Amino acid sequence: MSKLSATGMSETGRILEALLSGQFICQVSDEDGFHFLAEEVNRERIDSHLHVLNRRLASACEGELYFCAYRELGDNEHKVISQQFSEIAGSLLPLTEWLILSQEAQGQDSPISAGVALRLSELQTVVEDTPALREQLAKISQYKLFGSTSSQVDGQLKQVFKRLCEQGYLVRPNQEKQIYIATAKVDYIFEVISFIDEAEGLGLEQQAMDAIGQQEPLL
Amino acid sequence: MNQHLQQAGLKLFKLLARHGESLMHAYVNGKLDESKLDSKQIDALLKAGVIWRPSADEGLHLSSNLRSLLEEALSDTRNRQIDSNVGSRLETIKTLAAHYKEALHIGDLAAADVYLSDLSEHSYSLTESLRHSSRVLWSRINNEFGYVPSLSAKIRENELAQQQVSELLNSLALLNFDTLSQIAGDIRELRRILVLNLSQAVYDCTQELAVVQTRLLTLLGRFRELRGKSRLLKGLQLFHAQHPDFSPKDPTQQIDVASLFNQAPALLSKASVDIHNSEHEHDLLLSLSQLKLQRHTKVSETNTEHAVSLEGAEEFALQEQKIKQDVENYLLGVIESAAGQTALEYYQEQHLEWDAEAWLYQVWGSYHALPEEQRDYFALDPIEDPHPIFSGNRIVRDLQVWLR
Repeated sequence: MSKLSATGMSETGRILEALLSGQFICQVSDEDGFHFLAEEVNRERIDSHLHVLNRRLASACEGELYFCAYRELGDNEHKVISQQFSEIAGSLLPLTEWLILSQEAQGQDSPISAGVALRLSELQTVVEDTPALREQLAKISQYKLFGSTSSQVDGQLKQVFKRLCEQGYLVRPNQEKQIYIATAKVDYIFEVISFIDEAEGLGLEQQAMDAIGQQEPLL
Repeated sequence: MNQHLQQAGLKLFKLLARHGESLMHAYVNGKLDESKLDSKQIDALLKAGVIWRPSADEGLHLSSNLRSLLEEALSDTRNRQIDSNVGSRLETIKTLAAHYKEALHIGDLAAADVYLSDLSEHSYSLTESLRHSSRVLWSRINNEFGYVPSLSAKIRENELAQQQVSELLNSLALLNFDTLSQIAGDIRELRRILVLNLSQAVYDCTQELAVVQTRLLTLLGRFRELRGKSRLLKGLQLFHAQHPDFSPKDPTQQIDVASLFNQAPALLSKASVDIHNSEHEHDLLLSLSQLKLQRHTKVSETNTEHAVSLEGAEEFALQEQKIKQDVENYLLGVIESAAGQTALEYYQEQHLEWDAEAWLYQVWGSYHALPEEQRDYFALDPIEDPHPIFSGNRIVRDLQVWLR
């Protein structure tokens, strides 16, 4: 049986509430919930509750991420998810550029994924010291997704991080510290990109390799 | 122990201690800084075999033995040395075993003792080198090849490690226990060294290498995934730069929508108040007290509006007299006819000009203003409807006069 929380709500109830209010559950965003959903029995129980509302428990990123999906798709449902798709497609570029920026600012050649910690102050120092990154950040922060009006690196970064937290891409475990941890929703973005890449036959990886290949002989 | 051997060993250690700084410098930088040492010191080090010069035009390097000793002692993760040369060591062990058996056979116990201790030395060094190899592999896995910076380099290092694992496994296959057991025969000491010790070490090592291999493969998978992701990001950025107007086809229009894009929107809103739950009473009362405050301010607002409209006091007073008269007529009419008539029915019948609500207030007010003996003749009750939104509230729609 699921244990009761402080408010007397069972874990099943708590997770149902989270799922129905549109949250993504992963190990970073909700560790207890994620472990709860790791059990087949619990997943079935949640799924049968969602069944009543024409919803089901869906997972992405090889089971690292759970969310609530429609069970049957009618016209209305199609409309809703179509709108959601255009939203996410519209935010892909800002997110991509942000991911590249933070990867470069951290001096790593692997992109951010679930569980990676980002220290705002460290990023800020690097961005402030690097004109190219500063320019990039100014461009990124003005996208509609982030909507920053600040002209300072500090304000731009804070706004970007705030929006990323609101959208569930980052969590901030300690409100007093400017340390953010990426959730599996970041990995979800990669799945979306690679889906579009495949569906449209864009050959993105090849393009990147060609670009790198063109650079290498110059060095 | 040979006296000379001990002396020579101590001399070597002293030499190392004297040149510790230069040697460590050479370990870190790859080459010995010759300017810091004079030719005599260099000669001494060269003679001791601690350093060597690969060719005339190259610098002085640390000898591989000293280097691996340092790597081992410092747990340096750059240590890539894995000794998979089990075959030749095995041959040595076999040869020593044969010497030992022969010595026993001819009864030369002193020689047998020497061979046996040599044999166990070799056997231990073999098992130790096997364990060392897997330790090295583990330390490389545990820091995820962090000693090389780029993902591609990590992938290459991982491939090298996998190759080393398979080489180790191949050489472990050389240790055939049937042969070893045959060599050992029924000599207890030999069985202990050759069969018990070695077989345990090989068994442990094989098991561990299998785990190492899976971990290496998982790690390699992750490196490749990360590299793929990195390329995806870069590719998308480039693609957008070339096609700024690109917008992907909506995959949700297909009949079979990918689960990735089937995401139900938020559904839950906040739960409503349950006034029958005694546990919530305290909280509800608290919020209610805040509600009242808001109502008061509203009422005072309407009052001020009224105050403005009440300017013609005399006119109003006259009207008040008139409305009072109408109410009196209504009440008297009801009493005289002894038939029930609601206040609004009377209002409509008489085509009164008052505001209907003011009329009802006046009826209610006048009734309660009557002296008690007069009021006892009849009763006045409101006709109410429940409020459509706020449960428990009721709205007075009309008034009914009853004769007692």
